[in-house]
Amino acid sequence: MILVPITYKGGVFRHDEILDLIEDMGGYIIQKHMIAQEVVLQALIPKEDIEILKTVSRPLAGEVKPAPLVGTEIAVVSMSLEIHHLPHASCDVAEYLRTAGAKTNMIGLARGFGKRIGLLSDEERDIINEHDLAIYLFGNFETCIKEKMPTFRRGIQVPIVVCGGPTKETLMKIIDPPVAGYIGGLGRFMHRTKEPHELARLDEIVEEVSRVIDQKRIGIAKDPLSVTPARLMDIILENVPAIHEVTSPIPVVVQMDGTRIKLPYDPYAAEIREIEIEAGIRIADVCDIRPSRMRDYILLKVKPFSETGMLV
Amino acid sequence: MSTLEYFEVDSTEPVGGQLYRRIASTVITDHNLLKVLERLRIFIDPSVPVFVAVGITRTVPRTITVSDLAGITYDGQKITLAIADETFLADLLQILWKSYGKDQVSQPDRFTIEILTSGDAASSGIEDLAVADPTEGLFKDLIYSMQVICPEGFRVKKQNFHNGRFWFVASENTLPEDVTPLVDEQFRIMEAAS
Repeated sequence: MILVPITYKGGVFRHDEILDLIEDMGGYIIQKHMIAQEVVLQALIPKEDIEILKTVSRPLAGEVKPAPLVGTEIAVVSMSLEIHHLPHASCDVAEYLRTAGAKTNMIGLARGFGKRIGLLSDEERDIINEHDLAIYLFGNFETCIKEKMPTFRRGIQVPIVVCGGPTKETLMKIIDPPVAGYIGGLGRFMHRTKEPHELARLDEIVEEVSRVIDQKRIGIAKDPLSVTPARLMDIILENVPAIHEVTSPIPVVVQMDGTRIKLPYDPYAAEIREIEIEAGIRIADVCDIRPSRMRDYILLKVKPFSETGMLV
Repeated sequence: MSTLEYFEVDSTEPVGGQLYRRIASTVITDHNLLKVLERLRIFIDPSVPVFVAVGITRTVPRTITVSDLAGITYDGQKITLAIADETFLADLLQILWKSYGKDQVSQPDRFTIEILTSGDAASSGIEDLAVADPTEGLFKDLIYSMQVICPEGFRVKKQNFHNGRFWFVASENTLPEDVTPLVDEQFRIMEAAS
C-alpha cells in the first residue's frame, strides 16, 4: 500500500465523516487544525483511495490537494533571531513550507551571523540533525556564504538546502562539496514577500525541498523502515494516555524516519519502549529511543528492515 | 525613495549591492526617515569586510522652546501656559518641576499649567526655556536604522553626526583608528555625483 500525503480543507460540518473515512482506508491523520469554521487535515492516505475521498468530500465542499511535505519535519535555520532576519525572511519561508504540509521548526543560531565570526554550537548541530532536512537562510553576499559554509555544514548529516542572495548558479559554484539543494535570489530582505516574483521564489523552495525529500524517500524505500512513522504515531496516541494532556498543537511529530514525542524522556521512555506494535513486537525492537536535544522530548528513529529483519 | 536627492548603494558584489539597496530603502521608509534625509550613500565591501554609510540630512530642526508649544500669559507673579502641542508635555513638566519646584507648578487641566514665581513673572525668561532637542533623537534614529541595514555580523561600529552630515562605519573586524579616509572617499563620490 503506497501512502500519499494530502491536505484536506473543508468545513467543520460533518468533518468527522472524513476522519472516519481516512482511518477506514488505512490512512493516518498527521495534523488536524480547526480554524474557526474551517478544518485543515494533513494526512497520509492510500494512493488508490484519493478519488473516494474526493467524492465523499464534494458534498461537504471539502477540497483535497496533494501536499508533498506532509510527514516531514524541516529545520529552517536562521543565522540569528535578530531584527535583521526576522520576521522576513525566516518566518516567510517557515510559514510557506507549512502550507505545503511540512512541520517546520525555526532554529535561530546563537552566533550564526558574520562570515568569520559565525559559529554553530554542538547543541544546534544536534538539533538540526534530528530533522529530515535543513534549510539554511544565508545573506546576500557570496563572499560571506563561501567563507562561512564549511563551519555551518560541519557535522550536519541531514540534506541541506541553501538559500542565499546570489543566483542559484553562483551558489552552486561557491559551495564545495555540493549540498542537496540551492535557491538563489532569496537572501536577507526586510519586507514582506507578497510580490509575484517573491512568491515564485517561495514556490521554488517548496519545489526544491520536495525534490530533495523525494530523493530521501527513494533512499529509504531501498531499505524500508520496519514500521511506518505514521503508524508509530497512531500506536503512541492509542497507548500513552499522557500524550493527550500535552498542550502542544502537535504532540507527536511524524518525521520521514521516526517520530518526536513531546513527553519528557525520563518518566515515559521506558513505558514507550515496552508498547507492543503487533503480537510480540515491541517499539524497542524496531526503534532507537533516545532523548531529543530539543527540550526533553523523546526521539524515536525507526530501524530499517536490514537491521531488524521485520516489517510490521 | 524618490524624495531623496541622492541614494546609492554600492558594493564590490553588484548582486548583493542591489539587494542591500532594497533593504536600505525598506528600513528608511519604515523608520520614517525619508523627510529627514537628503542624500545617502552606502558602500559595502564584504571581502574586507566593511560597511560605510554617509549622508546629509535636510535642515536640522532647531531646539524646541516653551514658546513653541504653549501660549504664555503673565499675571503678576503667576505664569499661565496654554499648551498647544502635547508632544513634549511630559518633558516640559519635568523641566518646570526642576526649575521652579513641584509646589510652584500646578496643572489644573490637561492643557493648562500655572507657575508661581518668586519675582516678576514676565522677566523669568520662560519663553526661551529649552524643552527638547530633536537632533538628539534624529541622530539616534539615523544610527539605529544604519545598524539595521548593515549586515548583522558587523559588530564593530563608529559613527558621527555634525552639522547635518553623518557617517557610520561598521565591520566584523577591528576598524582602523582613523576611519576618515574611508568616509571622505564616500562623501567625495556622493558630492561628485550631484
